[in-house]
Amino acid sequence: MKVSCLQENLARGLSVAGRAVSARSALPVLSHILFTTDAGRLRLSSTNLEMGIHCWIGGRVEEEGAIAVPARTIIDLINAFPPDRVDLRQEVRTMTLNVRCGRSEANIKGLDAVDFPPIPTPEESAGDGIAIDPEILRTAIHQVAFAAATDEARPTLTGVLLRWEATPAGPTLTLAAADGYRLAVRRVPMPDQPVLRPFSVIVPARTMTEWARICGEMAKGREERPSVRITFTPDGNRILFQGQTPPDAPVPMEVVLVSQLIPGTFPDYQQLIPRDRNTRFITGTAELLKACQTAHIFARENTNTLLLHIHPGSDLEPGRLVVSATSAETGSDVTELDAAIEGAAVEIAFNVKFILEALGVVNSPQVMMDIISPSSPGVIRPVGGDDFTYVVMPMTLER
Amino acid sequence: MIRILPPEIVAQIAAGEVVNRPASVIKELVENSIDAGAREIRVEVADGGKRLMRVADDGCGIPTDEVELAFQRHATSKLASAEDLLRIQTLGFRGEALASIAAVSRVTCATRAAEEEIGTLIRLEGGKVVSRRPLGRPVGTTVTVEDIFYNVPARRKFLRSSATERHHIDAWVTRYAMVYSDRRFVLVHDGRETLRSPGTGRMRDVLVAVYGGEVGSALMEILPEENESIQVAGFTSPPHLHRADRGAITLFVNGRWVQDARLTYAVIQAYHTLIPAGRYPLAVITITLPPEDVDVNVHPAKAEVRFRDGEGVFRAVQRAVRRALTEERGISAIRTFPGPAFVHSPEARFPERATGAPFRPVPMPGVSPPPSPDGLPVLRVIGQVAATYIIAEGPDGLYLIDQHAAHERVLYERLMAQRESGIPLQPLLEPVAVDLPPEWAGLVEAHQETLRRLGIEVEPFGGNTFLVRALPAVLRSAHPGEVLVEAARGLAEGSSPPEEWGIATKEEMEKAIIRQVCKEGAIKAGQVLSREEMEELLRALEGCASPRTCPHGRPTMIHISTAQLAREFQRR
Repeated sequence: MKVSCLQENLARGLSVAGRAVSARSALPVLSHILFTTDAGRLRLSSTNLEMGIHCWIGGRVEEEGAIAVPARTIIDLINAFPPDRVDLRQEVRTMTLNVRCGRSEANIKGLDAVDFPPIPTPEESAGDGIAIDPEILRTAIHQVAFAAATDEARPTLTGVLLRWEATPAGPTLTLAAADGYRLAVRRVPMPDQPVLRPFSVIVPARTMTEWARICGEMAKGREERPSVRITFTPDGNRILFQGQTPPDAPVPMEVVLVSQLIPGTFPDYQQLIPRDRNTRFITGTAELLKACQTAHIFARENTNTLLLHIHPGSDLEPGRLVVSATSAETGSDVTELDAAIEGAAVEIAFNVKFILEALGVVNSPQVMMDIISPSSPGVIRPVGGDDFTYVVMPMTLER
Repeated sequence: MIRILPPEIVAQIAAGEVVNRPASVIKELVENSIDAGAREIRVEVADGGKRLMRVADDGCGIPTDEVELAFQRHATSKLASAEDLLRIQTLGFRGEALASIAAVSRVTCATRAAEEEIGTLIRLEGGKVVSRRPLGRPVGTTVTVEDIFYNVPARRKFLRSSATERHHIDAWVTRYAMVYSDRRFVLVHDGRETLRSPGTGRMRDVLVAVYGGEVGSALMEILPEENESIQVAGFTSPPHLHRADRGAITLFVNGRWVQDARLTYAVIQAYHTLIPAGRYPLAVITITLPPEDVDVNVHPAKAEVRFRDGEGVFRAVQRAVRRALTEERGISAIRTFPGPAFVHSPEARFPERATGAPFRPVPMPGVSPPPSPDGLPVLRVIGQVAATYIIAEGPDGLYLIDQHAAHERVLYERLMAQRESGIPLQPLLEPVAVDLPPEWAGLVEAHQETLRRLGIEVEPFGGNTFLVRALPAVLRSAHPGEVLVEAARGLAEGSSPPEEWGIATKEEMEKAIIRQVCKEGAIKAGQVLSREEMEELLRALEGCASPRTCPHGRPTMIHISTAQLAREFQRR
């Protein structure tokens, strides 16, 4: 292998490819990044067996080849180089990668590329899959992934449900995550794309979050964004997310993330979303978030207990939403917010973290919450859009 | 053919109730010496007592004309009327001891009463006087018992090895030396002195003589509470000292050693969660209560007693030990945090007395453990080792904290505290179905209300399947199914304690459940923690009442002082 590329491109490519490197693994090759020449470009790959990443960057390929080099070493080395041309040359006999940049030269001991676990490429995937705007996908992942369980005891709950189907409202991609106490659902209508092959899979929340990050890096702040393509391997066991930077990006690259799927059945989320309500309040998202953050200071000393008192208004005075928390050790706090309230007065307790995290991903200036009773799930939605739904179980305080 | 037994046989049979091994002879003779007001009691034993036992005292002695009488059955100076039985202050009273001993051995008794000029020497064989003569000697009594069971071959055959008999003798002499700390006790085995108590009136001095300087001075004193009708005093071990059996829990009621499983349990119970499961504290407890509130006349050997208010005595003992444990912790130099050596080999400094070398004091006079208050100092997180231990720095060196054990302790104390006011529940969005083993399913079904009070909401779902509907809010990251399984395990454990402990209390059962579910809810070993998580855990641990042990009694941390580090690196 003999390749030349720009230090800046290589550094960016390595930072993306480095994401799937496993820090501690019994398999030494998993702490390596595979360098492969691929149709006139340089492909950087890594895998931790759960997910794998390919990242293609531009370069001048003089000789084909492939070698795996220790991720830590090559990343640190390239980052230390000046923004200049980097020449990579593989010494097949000694299994080393010779790296030159400016007046520096390094030799890195590598491993044979055939030892590297194979990671599927888009060419090996089946069907056209679906195409989605990277920014929309990133937001959608961000809105649900936090609700997934971190405990491995219930594997299906550590993933994000990804469902592509034709609904009465038209073709829709739905993302959902739940941890047993709450459920976050984001629907992305995609009217222009016919549902040829519907699917419903569970993707590890970790890899979804990783992909959201990569999406953000590739398309940050740009108007024109090439779509992300979602496909599957022919055996249906792995999902591929394929994206690329806009053509005018300073560091052009193409990235594919391949992830294992979590086998099993996701809870029937639709049935978990309550249809009725006895009380609804609407208030400012930022104000409620602030009030909850203040309450958290005391709630964290008391099993995160957040109390919401909802007082409907009358003809003369507006409704009031009173947010409070009490800690036996440190004290208590109360914040009163104006709110539009329909229905009966109610007092309900939640884990403050559950509410904070949900408010953090509500993108509208106003938020609403529907409540049936202090012992039934509450529902948080943005005002002016029903594409995000968050269902959360209240806490019960024994007396 | 039925016939009336000859008196010698009757005497031998009756003797069997009082005298069943050499140690019981020692016990009876020592009690007599104590009742005689002796200041010094010297016990000499040869061959585990099989060959010879001699108890010499400087007590009041026996008047010449009463010496023979003393060896008659039911002859005693300690009791005059049946009413006296209700107010027994002396150790002996049945008038059986000397007669029983004399019936099964060769006894020589040399005595002189304080008010007489000349003493008496009397020799009995098989209960019959074989010789008697006047004797000049100091005031007091010396009883020598030789060839025990020489005339009862069946009994003699059942004598155990000399070492075992010797162990039993040691146990008795030690008990009396402890509780009668104002008398000097000397014990000599085969010509070698193995125990000498100073007779200073301070029990701690005796404990130092018995257990050695280090253990003796580490024991925490239980001071009696004023104005209580049941007075509990004595010494008990700090949580880092513990043993493999209950043998080191010694109880006295009104100066009499007793065996009482319930009171022993009261002591163990006070250490709940402070020492590892299956380990027991070392304690010497004296209980003093009005004589009419306790019946000592239950058993000829008087090892069992009956209380008028057993429950009250139980509570008093438990409270007293707990008090000593909590009071001492904050202020004293005694409750020390075990260094690595202690964690690994508590036995090394804590020799068992069972084998051939009883009472050998640990040669560490004057060593008292380093001071350390119980509350944790402020700890600064340095990092994590093996995804299992948190390394932290404190004002005096390095702390290694077991993340699972520490979190267990935090959860345990939170749940125990919340239990008072009501445990906040976090209901599940969707109930989780759990299959339980049949033997637990019945328990869970019967105790749904208990579980519910502890924050675990379950309902039967047919067969051995249950639906978990809610968990205690502090345990919300645990698997609901596993929590129920652990709760069931706790339920099973809490509802069937060893027989001797008596019926399980609701309290016990709830604690057992909480202990088990905390185990499930706590951060596991092998879980990588962020710095924030580690800091949060340490802060929570600092807030715990007993931060140094997990609810199952394992240590949560190992402390390596800067001095220790310096030593290890041979800087000094």
